[in-house]
Amino acid sequence: MVKLDAAKKTTREINVALKKAAERGEEILVSNPGARHNLGVCILKKCKITFDGSVGYYCASMLNGPEVLVKGNAGWGFAEHLMSGTVRLTKNASLAVAASMKDGEVVIEGHAGARAGISMKGGLLAIGGNAGFLTGFIAQKGRIIICGDVGEAAGDSMYESLVYVGGKVASVGTDAKVVDVTGEEKKWLGETLERLKLKARNGVSWKKVESTKTLYQFDKLKLKDRRVV
Amino acid sequence: MCGLAGIFYKNQSLRRKAPVGAQLVKMMAAMRHRGEDSTGYTISGESVGAGNVLARLCAPRAACDAEATRLSRRRENGAEFIAALKAIQKLGGRIQSRNQIGRHLRLVFGYRKDLRAVADALLAIPVLEIHSLGQTSEIIKDEGDAMALDAKHHISAFHGTHGLGHNRLATESQVDVRHSHPFWAYPFPDVTTVHNGQLTNYHKLKRIYEEQGYRFQTHNDSELIAVYLADKLAHGADLIHALQDSIQDFDGTFTYLVSTSKGIGYAKDKFAAKPLVVMERADVVAVASEEVALRQVFPEEIERAEPQQSLCRVWLN
Repeated sequence: MVKLDAAKKTTREINVALKKAAERGEEILVSNPGARHNLGVCILKKCKITFDGSVGYYCASMLNGPEVLVKGNAGWGFAEHLMSGTVRLTKNASLAVAASMKDGEVVIEGHAGARAGISMKGGLLAIGGNAGFLTGFIAQKGRIIICGDVGEAAGDSMYESLVYVGGKVASVGTDAKVVDVTGEEKKWLGETLERLKLKARNGVSWKKVESTKTLYQFDKLKLKDRRVV
Repeated sequence: MCGLAGIFYKNQSLRRKAPVGAQLVKMMAAMRHRGEDSTGYTISGESVGAGNVLARLCAPRAACDAEATRLSRRRENGAEFIAALKAIQKLGGRIQSRNQIGRHLRLVFGYRKDLRAVADALLAIPVLEIHSLGQTSEIIKDEGDAMALDAKHHISAFHGTHGLGHNRLATESQVDVRHSHPFWAYPFPDVTTVHNGQLTNYHKLKRIYEEQGYRFQTHNDSELIAVYLADKLAHGADLIHALQDSIQDFDGTFTYLVSTSKGIGYAKDKFAAKPLVVMERADVVAVASEEVALRQVFPEEIERAEPQQSLCRVWLN
């Protein structure tokens, strides 16, 4: 295992060292991240990275393949634009966690701030605690699981994404509605949370926020109309 | 973008004044990337005593005006500062101490009457700026980053019970000392604010306050926040209610901090557009735009919360 002390290095030195270790497929432990920004970004190989402490903005963003564990809190844009791999956070995430992720899994053991999963295009975002205001805003595809409550305007202007909520939904956003989950979905939720080692609260009643599809029309156009567009 | 920080020591836990100056410098230096146009601080908690006023004045022309520089060499004052001292004395103020650093003057004078009269007399002097008037707080702001300000104004030497810091990345109005944060709320003692964001109904609200006789020293939207809050307080509102009302009355994006003689508070807009993290312990509260700033003062892993939309809170002694 490669050990890296972030306190003694510049952000660029840390990221270069991480990329080199990833090229060799090594396991990396970064100590003293000190809530600094832009750590562990743009790593396009399979490898295992652990940050022993809180990280700042855009940590673990633009990844394709790595398995990242952060033992602490994260700032804005955590795990942004994940292409594949898994990113896990043991405490709370700030705003716009997993923004525009395309695939892979992002797991937040604590709470997430506003605009979690904004503009998601695929994959799974699982949150052990509560999620904030505008969760799933303009999300196109992929699924968000929230074990706790979700804030106001959940699923605002969403396309094909689905937001599963174990606790309360403060309110839904424009063009979103709350519906019941099917038996199959319940089974999937149980299995997924067990695999991800997340716990839903006792007496959880799963519900789903989805798009009412009155705002977006792309696929509803007839063929001759599409030509005009 | 802009960076904010605030620190507040709960009185009962404080045997002597805390090094809030040094701590705010560390926090602002860690958030240098959020704006380097100017840096500013409010340091609060050391009273100049009942019946005295602590003023922070600035005469931007003094340093570059040849005539004033000659005067400055001879009498350690620019022309504007001499006029300021005369104006205060004319109103019955007794000058007790003065300390000039370049274009900046720190002044303590004995005065028991309405502060508005002093403020108006000082603002009548061309070019002279009032950075702050009060009894327990002072604003120190200048162009440059946190370290540059510390080197020039020795911010690290300041002690107190609470304070604010601001890094400015100018998006509205000019880049100069006058338009830097924090802003003092004319004519109320010790009310100052720092702001990250843009107020879009600034002109409309400014006109309402100007009609009521309030004076604005700048064209910066953030100055309005200070005047708005001070007006609410003057009309008997609690700070927390003033903050709550502001979330409804201000349009645009904002996270702002306020400092009064008693403590600090924050308010966030209804979009949660601008960041703020809060760390609270039994003895101290620290808030900042980014956790990386808090970690400069509290290097261990901390429990921090991130307030979301339409929220406000105060901590008062």
